[in-house]
Amino acid sequence: MRSRLGWGFWASAGWIGLVLLAAVLADVLPLARYDETLAGPPRSGPSAAHPFGTDGLGRDVLSRVVHGARVSLGVGVGAVLLGLGIGAPLGILAGYRRRATDAVIMAVNDVAQAFPALVFALAVVAFAGANLRNVLIVLGVLGVPSWVRLIRGATLTYADREFVLAARVLGTRDRRILWREIVPNVAVPAASYAFIGMAVVVVAEGSLAFLGLSVQAPTPTWGGLINEGRTLLESAPHVVLAPSVVMFLTVLSFNLVGDRLRSLTDVRESGLEPVRQAAAAPLPSAEHEVRADCLLQAEDLRTHFVTPRGVVKAVDGVSFTLRRGRTLAIVGESGSGKSMLIRSILGLLPGSSVRGGHVYLSGDDLTGYSPARMRSVLGPRLGTVFQDPMTALNPVRTIGTQVTEPLRVHLGMNRRQARAEAVRLLASVGIPDPERTLRRHPHQLSGGMRQRVTIAMALSCGPDVLFADEPTTALDVTIQDQVLRLLHRLREERDMAVVLVSHDLSVVARWADEVIVMYAGKVVERGPAAEVFARPRMPYTEALLQAAPRLTDPVHHRLRVIPGRPPDLVDLPRGCAFQPRCPYARDRCAREAPPLTGSYACWYPRDHAEVLKERADSGGR
Amino acid sequence: MIVVHRLVRLLVVLLVVTFLSYALLNLLPGDPVTQILGLSATEEARAQVRQDLGLDQPLLVRYLGWLGGLVTGDFGESYITRMPVASELAERLPVTLELLVAAQIIALGLAIPVGVAAARRAGRALDQALTALSFALLSTPVFVLGVLLILVFAVTWQVVPATGWTPISLDLGWNLTSVILPAITLGCGQLAVYARLLRTDLIATLQEDYITLARARGLSPRRILWRHALRPSAISLVTAVGLNLGALIGGTVIIETLFGLPGVGRLIVDSIFSRDYLTVQGGVVLISVGYVAVNFAVDLVYAAVDPRIRRA
Repeated sequence: MRSRLGWGFWASAGWIGLVLLAAVLADVLPLARYDETLAGPPRSGPSAAHPFGTDGLGRDVLSRVVHGARVSLGVGVGAVLLGLGIGAPLGILAGYRRRATDAVIMAVNDVAQAFPALVFALAVVAFAGANLRNVLIVLGVLGVPSWVRLIRGATLTYADREFVLAARVLGTRDRRILWREIVPNVAVPAASYAFIGMAVVVVAEGSLAFLGLSVQAPTPTWGGLINEGRTLLESAPHVVLAPSVVMFLTVLSFNLVGDRLRSLTDVRESGLEPVRQAAAAPLPSAEHEVRADCLLQAEDLRTHFVTPRGVVKAVDGVSFTLRRGRTLAIVGESGSGKSMLIRSILGLLPGSSVRGGHVYLSGDDLTGYSPARMRSVLGPRLGTVFQDPMTALNPVRTIGTQVTEPLRVHLGMNRRQARAEAVRLLASVGIPDPERTLRRHPHQLSGGMRQRVTIAMALSCGPDVLFADEPTTALDVTIQDQVLRLLHRLREERDMAVVLVSHDLSVVARWADEVIVMYAGKVVERGPAAEVFARPRMPYTEALLQAAPRLTDPVHHRLRVIPGRPPDLVDLPRGCAFQPRCPYARDRCAREAPPLTGSYACWYPRDHAEVLKERADSGGR
Repeated sequence: MIVVHRLVRLLVVLLVVTFLSYALLNLLPGDPVTQILGLSATEEARAQVRQDLGLDQPLLVRYLGWLGGLVTGDFGESYITRMPVASELAERLPVTLELLVAAQIIALGLAIPVGVAAARRAGRALDQALTALSFALLSTPVFVLGVLLILVFAVTWQVVPATGWTPISLDLGWNLTSVILPAITLGCGQLAVYARLLRTDLIATLQEDYITLARARGLSPRRILWRHALRPSAISLVTAVGLNLGALIGGTVIIETLFGLPGVGRLIVDSIFSRDYLTVQGGVVLISVGYVAVNFAVDLVYAAVDPRIRRA
């Protein structure tokens, strides 16, 4: 608890406690009377007798500040309790009952927001009388809409949760549900807002007092003290500084305590975020040979994330080579590290990751490039297409701006040249009426058209390698084939290499030359696509193939699924990562991880004579 | 269609706000007749004044009469100064507007670079320092900040006057020196709000696919931040500026009092002290209408910021 709240929380809570204690014990503390004139020489600075100095009439400033705290905190506590008392029941009602009640509450909110609250408070206090009770009531009532909004929001989030729905289904009475299930869960946001509300009320009371419309003299108030001190700014600035600093610290403390309490319930900030890399020691890499005849070569590529739960090995020792004019497919389940592998190659990783190993482009080590040098490669030599064309284009910029940008940045074209080239590019990916398309925004195009645009952008600077991360997964089946044909045609025309990430094995089997199968960040099988699909050796590859539906399957053929779940990357099983889900696993699989020897990583690879026999057996049944 | 729907809703809000302010101020203790005639007036004289001002009529009738006047721009005549409320407000409004605009320029001018810098290095030392600073600014009451700024710039360094106002028509230079300190005071709180909002939204935008793809196209971080990420992240900021512009017309009360500026806020405070009901009501109406109008305009600005909204 202590470490999650931080020292700022405890310092703030301590300060609030101190001010509160001083306010309660103001009459008992050994202080000068707040209204005793000439307790010391007028306008004298801080001294042992008067730690905050004296004001224009020689009154002790410390004593006046402490007594002022009674008004500020008294109004604060009172107004917050009043706002909570009225607002919480209304908010719970609106959140739980919905419909008509909710509509009324929202309408009241509209009005409350357009209402000048401070002006209204001033008028009411001025006309009804400037005293503690009126100030407290006005500020309390003005706080009600905020309370209603907050409690309603908190209730709404819980009214839909499973445990509340379950209670409803079981026929539990509404009142019981409210008290047992809703109220305890709304309590934390309410407590948090109580502190923030205290800060708001203390400032509001200070504003009223500053204008002379809070508790009247001789009772000191913080706002009043600051107002009085203004006239002494030149000769005795401490008179204004003392209450100012105390007030600032108090408001800051209330805000901070409220903010920290809120962050307790806010999952985004509660320690699930990755910890930033601790002095990222680059991961060591093994000896290897750099092959200059290959366009793209990855050697022992690793990407690890340091998280509070442990190290996530998203990519763990991946090596491959790729020649010009070929397509390499990367396959595996979701979470097997396919996309992360692409991002590792391109150097597009979040700051919380550690990368190891090497990536060579025509024999040049990209992992040694400076960010600026890497940018000169991204685009002109490495092109990228992502899965979802709906999120791949910037929604607020026109297609023209986006397609011409790399041309202008990397190839130094002027606006007219870039535009002409963009028209040519869009036409080459099969977009009808490219001129008009350039003037449109992404939301005006269909998904297939958008994916064509992103492909055109990826190809704009004539890259050597095109990375396509599930380029057709988000598209209609009819469009998928068009886009894949387009990629294939462009590869032929431009003599590029393509790295195609996919979990759709029919796509891979048709378009890829080579394939690597990934599981838990590692390559478990690799080889020519035709060979791997015809005779998978690793049981995981076999399972993947069996899980893919085929048109040649008989009608009502039962679809096979891979049993179990993808592994937890923080806590991988001992030995082979696939062993808990593998139907053929034996003792050795749980003891030792199989190395990638030749084309597969498995102790007991599938033997195809045996597989054929099994198939014959099961087919006969 | 949506525009019509919103307009109707805004009109309803305005009706409710005007009625509430009219009714509440009239129901509160205190009698304008006493303010006009003093405590020693005879009962006949009081009744005469009541009749002259129409105060003998039922609340609802008076409200409707007043509302009818508002529609034609007639805010009534002050019971105290006998001046038309509308002309008094019109005289004060430019001061408040200049203060608001100057404060927004300062706040936005600093908040955008600060928010971008913090988002770019989210979680690092600079971001944490800026977050702490904006938290501190948010926790500083305006009058505390104003007094401190006066102490430093007007009293100690004497670079600007502490209080007073020079109209823009009289002397631009002096006008600027008289608006700079109040505008900074007002702008600081906004600056903190805006910078935090922009930072949060930018961090979310920077996770988007299209930003990763912009990086994959080899564009520089600077270009990506300013040209790709800023505009899609600006919706909350535009909303906040709208809300603040509207709400601050009333929030300038303190600043105008502190710095001695003859604006609308000051007029309302003075009128409250002199029980000048119609002027207070006129001020409240002006603030509410300003708030509602600004927010209506903000809805139109959305379309410029985000083309996806244009279709709706």
